[in-house]
Amino acid sequence: MNVNQLIYRNLKNNLRNYYLYVFALIFSVSIYFAFVTLQYDASMDPATGTIKGQAAVRAGTIVLILIVGVFLVYANNLFIKRRSNEIALFQLIGMTKGKVFRLLTIENLILYLVSLAIGIGVGFSISKLMVMIVYKLTDVTDIATMHFSTEALKQTLIVFGIIYLLIMFVNYLFIKRESILSLFTIQQSTEIKVKRLSIFQVLLGLLGIGFIISGYVVSQQLFSGDFSTTNELFYAMAFILGAVIVGTYLFYKGSVTFVLQLIRKSHKGYLSINQVLSTSSIMFRMKSNALLLTIITTVSALAIGLLSLSYISYYSAEKQAENFVINDFSLVNEESYKQFTSILEENGIDYQVNQIEVFNVELDATNIMDFNYDEDSSVTMNPSELQLPIISDESIEEIDVDENHFFLSGYSDFLQRFMSFKKSGEATIKTESEQFSMKFIGLNREYYVSNYFTNGGGMPIGIVDEAKYQQLKTDMDPELQQRSQDGGAMTFRGIDVSEQDIEKANELFLTEEIDRWAGNDSQQNMARNQRMNMGLIMFIVGFLGLTFLVTSGCILYFKQMDESENEKPSYTILRKLGFTQQDLIKGIQLKQFFNFGIPLLVGLLHSYFAVQSGWFFFGTEVWTPMLIVMIVYAILYSLFGLLSVLYYRKIIQEAL
Amino acid sequence: MHLLKAQKIYKSFGNKFNRTEVLKGIDFTIDQGEFVTIMGPSGSGKTTLLNVLSSIDQVSHGTITIDGHIITNMKSKKLAEFRKHHLGFIFQEYNLLDTLTVKENILLPLSIQKVSRQQANEKFDLAAKELGIYEQRNKYPSEISGGQKQRTSAARAFIHQPSIIFADEPTGALDSKAASNLLNKMVEMNEKHKATILMVTHDPVAASYSDRVVLLKDGEVYSQLNKGDEDQQLFFNDIVKTQGVLGGVQHER
Repeated sequence: MNVNQLIYRNLKNNLRNYYLYVFALIFSVSIYFAFVTLQYDASMDPATGTIKGQAAVRAGTIVLILIVGVFLVYANNLFIKRRSNEIALFQLIGMTKGKVFRLLTIENLILYLVSLAIGIGVGFSISKLMVMIVYKLTDVTDIATMHFSTEALKQTLIVFGIIYLLIMFVNYLFIKRESILSLFTIQQSTEIKVKRLSIFQVLLGLLGIGFIISGYVVSQQLFSGDFSTTNELFYAMAFILGAVIVGTYLFYKGSVTFVLQLIRKSHKGYLSINQVLSTSSIMFRMKSNALLLTIITTVSALAIGLLSLSYISYYSAEKQAENFVINDFSLVNEESYKQFTSILEENGIDYQVNQIEVFNVELDATNIMDFNYDEDSSVTMNPSELQLPIISDESIEEIDVDENHFFLSGYSDFLQRFMSFKKSGEATIKTESEQFSMKFIGLNREYYVSNYFTNGGGMPIGIVDEAKYQQLKTDMDPELQQRSQDGGAMTFRGIDVSEQDIEKANELFLTEEIDRWAGNDSQQNMARNQRMNMGLIMFIVGFLGLTFLVTSGCILYFKQMDESENEKPSYTILRKLGFTQQDLIKGIQLKQFFNFGIPLLVGLLHSYFAVQSGWFFFGTEVWTPMLIVMIVYAILYSLFGLLSVLYYRKIIQEAL
Repeated sequence: MHLLKAQKIYKSFGNKFNRTEVLKGIDFTIDQGEFVTIMGPSGSGKTTLLNVLSSIDQVSHGTITIDGHIITNMKSKKLAEFRKHHLGFIFQEYNLLDTLTVKENILLPLSIQKVSRQQANEKFDLAAKELGIYEQRNKYPSEISGGQKQRTSAARAFIHQPSIIFADEPTGALDSKAASNLLNKMVEMNEKHKATILMVTHDPVAASYSDRVVLLKDGEVYSQLNKGDEDQQLFFNDIVKTQGVLGGVQHER
């Protein structure tokens, strides 16, 4: 047998054993190529394209290179270790280290070239699909056309060439460093050393859980007003991040072992087969993989969290636009109102107008607000001098307020974090020369005027009785009406058109540049802009999230392949003792449920708390988008668990 | 009454074109409560015979009956069930699960049978004390010596009182003191509890502990030696003499 035959045989054998590695390689290449193709696509061009997202996509590619690079190096390390016996054997029969290295290099080169070719083919064919997805997400109605980009090809070849060289370098170091003897024993040496649980570990375990919980608790208070200076906020965030990550590490290092040990102890040595295969094995392996699992968990949590947040803002785009613009169009002054309505009339579009007069008063809300501003010098807002826009209850049909009563509307989860009001109480409304003591009767989430009038959505709006409104208006303080041109009351004008006219009206709104006056807005436009911005971000985050999911799933799967190989003798014993294959498979299923389930669960929990702590910055709806993201992630992730069970089935079958 | 009866056992490996016959028509019986050793030079088929008799491997032809059950035509699931109740194993490489303590390892066979926890504990105490590993019960295999490991393995084989115990080179990895310790324990279990034992070894000293030695050569039974009323030393001399006649490689080590 000459060297060429050797290479060929090795390759054939490896393809069968490491099909997932090859798959991962092809997957990485195609994902990368598709992504880079997207970057060079005309529609991404900042000057001429329909989606101005080249910079975002480029940032994405860099993260992608990192993920793919780390993943491939890691996978290669696992596989070269598994082949250490073979490498040692080659050296034993007289091959020099250089020759073995050359053998590996050629073998890998062939593997890489084939994967690159397939990957680029697949990548090209899915890149059109990807552009279509981007268009769909960003509401662009272009038709996706794809050109094979030589730029993208070049970039892909360069990146994977570098990764290839890097891997070869790692292999070179490995072969150079290890002696023949250590190569033969390397597989045993990676096996875990079983030791008994020490008190120290129990403490570490408890500490880990404690850290995670404290991180969670602080995260929930992060934006509740307890940390109001930037410094405090920064320290709190750093604390959360540190506590959760260290806690996760200790959790894997100690807590899992500790909890399982408790379960085992309770059985007094009399373990069922499921426990033998699952708990006792996980107990020791989780500990030795603590670092890897921590990284996987943290990045999973990050991916799920970012995905949830971007989906929240995408999902909330419409609702938010509705809250901010109220009607199909909102206009803030007489001039634009006249122009727009006459345009609508010219084009034969029927419309309805909703007019609400607004002006600002000063509110002393000391008695109805729930916060101690005295303690915190950095809060610039003074609750005794709040600038509050008010409207009359006449403006809104379904509402009638008693004289001397008022309530606030347009209150959001976001506002709640910075201004929390009591249920009711006494407050004082000040005009230029007078003061009115009024009874505050509650909060409401409805929006009545566009955000132009409420300090960009930063304040709720006060609603008072018509008589009171007129009384306040006569004595209004012109200094508070900064946005008004004449220092008097302003009028919000909302215009609604029928469903079938909305497209046309929106077009007119844009072509006639009604939005040249600040504050004039079209609801459809706003939602579309929001979706466009968030759509691209969501696409990139989702894409990276998916890549990460696949790579981390693969890493866990590879680990399980390794573990199953190491545990094969155990399966032989158990089968000799009379356990059936089904018995073993059942135990393995439980084991894999833990192996994949624990990191997933911890990751989901982390991201849940992360999302809960700050989602209101991103949108108005939290549960639906977050749950959708989490469920999809969990399903995709568990596929790898299923795959690994299938692999174990094969090993168990061969064990006897 | 024969506990184990093997009739005309053939076993061959390989495919149609390249076939190696390892067992060539072996007839063989073991009585209830007997301690039998199979010996033979390398390649004589002793491990294959043990694997076939213990249902881990399939025969090509022939029938094997253990305790009234014909195991040669059983389905694999049924075989597992059978092994669970009727067979015990001791291996050269100990074959303990690293992740379980000594006690957990020993109790494994009971956990598949529906034995109450209290009963299991009683059985454990008995077996572990007799084999002298009771003190080590909460240690992991990596923390105890080779001899202790092998006795753990033996305790696991005895604990569910199987019909027959198969031991494959049980002393192969032990020093002579640990080996004689283990063999004495096995003889004790054999005499006290009437445990039937079938051992494979190439060590004539180990073989001299048993009641009967079956010598294999090239896949056939070459001769059988009975201990009868001889003492161990004489029996040992007999074995070595026969082995010499047998030729081949006598000592693998």
